[in-house]
Amino acid sequence: MTQLAYYPGCSLHSSSELYDVQCKMVFKNLGIELKEIDDWNCCGATAASKTDEFLAVALPARNLGLATATGLSEIVIPCSSCYSRTLVSQKTLAADPGLKDSINAELSQKIKGDIKVSSILEVLVPRARSGELAAKAVKKLEGLKPACYYGCLLTRFPIDVNVPDDVENPQGMETVLKALGATPVDWGYKTDCCGASASVNDADQSQLLMSRIFTDAVGRGANCLVTTCPLCQFNVDAYQDAVGKKYGIEKRLPVYFITELIGMSMGFDPIEMQVDRHFVDAMGLLKELNLL
Amino acid sequence: MPSPVLKYEPATSTLLAEVTKRSGQNLQACYQCRRCAAGCPVGEETGVTPDRLIRMIVVGDREEALNNLLVWKCVACYTCGTRCPNNIQTARITETLKQMAKKAHARPLTPRIADFHSAFMTSTRHLGRFNEIEALTIYETKTAIKELSQGKVKAVIDEMIGQARLALSMMRKKRLHIGVDRVKARSEVQALFEKAKGR
Ligand code: SF4
Ligand code: SF4
Repeated sequence: MTQLAYYPGCSLHSSSELYDVQCKMVFKNLGIELKEIDDWNCCGATAASKTDEFLAVALPARNLGLATATGLSEIVIPCSSCYSRTLVSQKTLAADPGLKDSINAELSQKIKGDIKVSSILEVLVPRARSGELAAKAVKKLEGLKPACYYGCLLTRFPIDVNVPDDVENPQGMETVLKALGATPVDWGYKTDCCGASASVNDADQSQLLMSRIFTDAVGRGANCLVTTCPLCQFNVDAYQDAVGKKYGIEKRLPVYFITELIGMSMGFDPIEMQVDRHFVDAMGLLKELNLL
Repeated sequence: MPSPVLKYEPATSTLLAEVTKRSGQNLQACYQCRRCAAGCPVGEETGVTPDRLIRMIVVGDREEALNNLLVWKCVACYTCGTRCPNNIQTARITETLKQMAKKAHARPLTPRIADFHSAFMTSTRHLGRFNEIEALTIYETKTAIKELSQGKVKAVIDEMIGQARLALSMMRKKRLHIGVDRVKARSEVQALFEKAKGR
């Protein structure tokens, strides 16, 4: 078994617990044990960067210290926002030793070395390419036409970062899903913003952004959306009905986490994966396509 | 939306130097090609695109730079910075301007957005982790008190109904997490918050 350090982040411990459950199930079947880092804290998400540049770096920095203490060489962070903030913190500290010393002074587990910070796709895509994912599949995802939705934070960063995918037209999720027999659609809004926390504090703005995403996905003939980000998932799932009604979009698309589709291909029980906890029904399509 | 006429005061204004330093962005490199404007998802609604915001700062119009909707409604999608040929990240600039407006005790143009981020940080400071229920309660209460005092009764009622609906459907879908997750070494997280205050 390969071991990877694991940072679930606050969403995966609350409204997106299903993603946490699915990550563990899928990774285990791939021979990867996720070691959750001990006593982690919130990464600060966008709120920290909008209010305090020190905390925006310092909060993820504490987690980097805890991750280093595991002695493992790689940490996987499924939430796009946590992943982005942690990676940005690591790069910022590498370039600013003074800031690093100042933060380290407060930490019991110091930041040292440079543990590799990976998104979930950085772990999955090589395994799709090597044929490992297909080898674990007991079912083909035939008939599934996902619009792969990346949102902002997987490919765009506030500082220079080596992005392991095409910035404007990423293909990571497509690579994974094609390997499992699905036919992802080509569409134009895969890296557009859903509004993130604007869904709460600037609802009209965020609903307008989401309406563009739904209109394009439906127009391109997708029968579902797929994402790796719990914040995107929540927004485009929980608000889809309201946005649809407001903008005259009739069709509703289930919004899967990539892990639940991989899990379906692996033959896992959808209820155990909590596929029934979506706002837009996510079980119906699987039944229709004989994937249950 | 027509662009405002900017006050040209580069000689006396310290604005450009201040924003450049705090945001780490080289605003002077901007040659107004407007690639950023084409991709900004909120530009249409705010009436201000990243190129315009940069222009305000370069010419030294502090008033406009601190009081326009892009500063508050920027969703930090980083599209502008990714496409900018001069690597200027406007999201870093809007962050800086928000913090400067706060320091100058200027009233945010969109108090809801400012209050949400501050509620998020209050909850994170308290528990070390973001608690959806706690943060939303702080945010909704603050917003309701403010808006009621301004006589916006309907806005408050609409908000309450909307949030109650969401909470109900979250409960139905087992997406509402009631338990409280907290960091054991909270004092360590709080020390970071203290250090931030002292900076
Ligand atoms: S893309 Fe960059 S250089 Fe062009 S107008 Fe925008 S900020 Fe200026
Ligand atoms: S980061 Fe802000 S300013 Fe830049 S494109 Fe996105 S919303 Fe517009």
